Amino acid sequence: METMEQGVLGHLMALEREGMGQQDQHESQRLEMLKARAVTLRAKRDQLKHQTDVVKILKDKISTDLPLDDDAAAAGGFTELQKSLLTAWRMQLKDLQRAHHLIGGYDLVECKEGKSVCVSFHTAFEGVYLETYNMELDLTRTVQISRHNIPPSFPLESFAKQILQKDLKAFLQTLSQNLNALAARRRQVCLLKELVGSVEVMESNQLCNILVLMCTAQSESPKAVLCTLEYADLTQCLPTRVRIECEDKTLSQSPQWKKNQSLLLESPAHTAVLTMRRMGSIA
Amino acid sequence: MDAQATSVLNRIIRRIPNKNIENLLKKWNCLSAEQLRALDYTRPKWMIVEHVISFCEENRLNLKHITNLEMIYHIENPDQGTWYACQLAEAQDDAVCVELTQFKEHFKAHLHGVIRHISIKMKKHEDEAVWIRIAWGDNFSKPNHLKPTYVVHHLHTSYVFISNLVAKHKIFLCQALVIATKHGSIKDGHLSTKSLTAMRDLLLRRYQQAFPNEQSRILQDRNTLSSHPCIGKEHSDHEEMRHQMSCEAFGHGPSPKLETAVYRLETRYRGNGNHTLSDREEFFRGVVRFSSSSLLDSLRHCVASGMAEGPVTPLLSAITQRGRNYFVITDKGPGVSSQASAQRA
Repeated sequence: METMEQGVLGHLMALEREGMGQQDQHESQRLEMLKARAVTLRAKRDQLKHQTDVVKILKDKISTDLPLDDDAAAAGGFTELQKSLLTAWRMQLKDLQRAHHLIGGYDLVECKEGKSVCVSFHTAFEGVYLETYNMELDLTRTVQISRHNIPPSFPLESFAKQILQKDLKAFLQTLSQNLNALAARRRQVCLLKELVGSVEVMESNQLCNILVLMCTAQSESPKAVLCTLEYADLTQCLPTRVRIECEDKTLSQSPQWKKNQSLLLESPAHTAVLTMRRMGSIA
Repeated sequence: MDAQATSVLNRIIRRIPNKNIENLLKKWNCLSAEQLRALDYTRPKWMIVEHVISFCEENRLNLKHITNLEMIYHIENPDQGTWYACQLAEAQDDAVCVELTQFKEHFKAHLHGVIRHISIKMKKHEDEAVWIRIAWGDNFSKPNHLKPTYVVHHLHTSYVFISNLVAKHKIFLCQALVIATKHGSIKDGHLSTKSLTAMRDLLLRRYQQAFPNEQSRILQDRNTLSSHPCIGKEHSDHEEMRHQMSCEAFGHGPSPKLETAVYRLETRYRGNGNHTLSDREEFFRGVVRFSSSSLLDSLRHCVASGMAEGPVTPLLSAITQRGRNYFVITDKGPGVSSQASAQRA
């Protein structure tokens, strides 16, 4: 009645005042509630922190083989905890060892909560570490490669089709072998270009399974000699076949060049070429 | 020089800005030094074109030289037109032993065998890419040099990049590629971009990937401003995790400059509750298209800043993981390469 006398606008204004007042009230109530909640949460957090610290100390003591002082630990009622921690630790280590044997000693990192693993392949040649390749394997249902940074010219799909489903260890082994050989061959080409300026690389490719070099033979008149190195076995870093071609047939048949041919077959390309230069066969 | 040669030359020179013409002509190496000096690049285009044509006639150049010029131009400026990726499958055992001369011979032999009039030019670039230019004719008419197809292939990889191919020639090209590379089949790669460089970077993995090993942990540059040290401390772990997640999905550092990703929906509408739409048996067709000047950078930022929730949905990470930017989403469950459950989106 009272509000109706004041008119519609007055009624609306009264409602507004009521609403605002209630909001303030609600806000201050809520603020108090939140503050109290924050305090309890902080207390709980401190308690949990204390608990985890105790467990951590115990774990560290176990891992560093320090004697566990029974009185301090037992006083807190932690004997049961000690026992269960020790058994759990032992079981975990045994499982880890078995897993390591299963995967052939490669470093596997679990990701996505066990749904996939990531494996890395390190490559090295002549004591120098080269690239590291990584590969993620998806383990849901069947083992599949989900992503990797192996160069695309590498026949990864054919290896995966042949071996991956049957034997993971053999697959990782084959991959490691082939990747190491590829890195080694690539390094040889790099070293050739760096160390030996007089030899020109006429042809090579991403897979480094063929290498054609042009050398200048030292004789009365310098002649161009073409050496073709074929790497038919991709697990090796040495060529399977070496062809020496020259316009002058006598030169390519000479015993010196026969020796050079076997040098190229038996030692890495850059060492062979450096030896040839040192012996004076080429410029 | 015949009419076709002049029109091809005309088209090339018109496309290039004047300041780049000189470099291109130098690389071409068909005009003498005095002729090059005589050209005035400040003149209007039509004048330059006329001069070049007259020099070419002086030097008795023919269509072969002009197509060479066009090829050099395309190799220097690969990011033009629309490129499509195709993937070779079912490699035979000796696919790894295919060398360049073998590839060239088989490719040309096959195409010359099926089409009487065809002009093929192949060039190997320093970065191991084989560029092929094909001007198609048919059994009655001469090759049309105004609409050449360009194909780029890196030997021993299973990717082929094609530009400007019409449907009627597609089957011949596919057959030739399959035979020359000793594979069993070729299929559509579901990736198309304007920039060949971006496409190559993506498929040949020329960008830095991040993996979950300890060695590949990405260090984040700390430039985040936090209003309160406590907030910063609480958030730092989450930020690092988000950063790692985004780098794993979309690469680290400069990423290939893809521009679009298209998802075609062939799913049924799942409304909440009792809408009549959900009773329908037909598909609710739609197309979702993401565009950006650099799509992968934008997506990576979305995930790293927390705008998109993690873990990264496989629909988006499939762009880098499978190297494609066209997807069809159906109602079938996950596990099929191009499809994912509609609910995940």
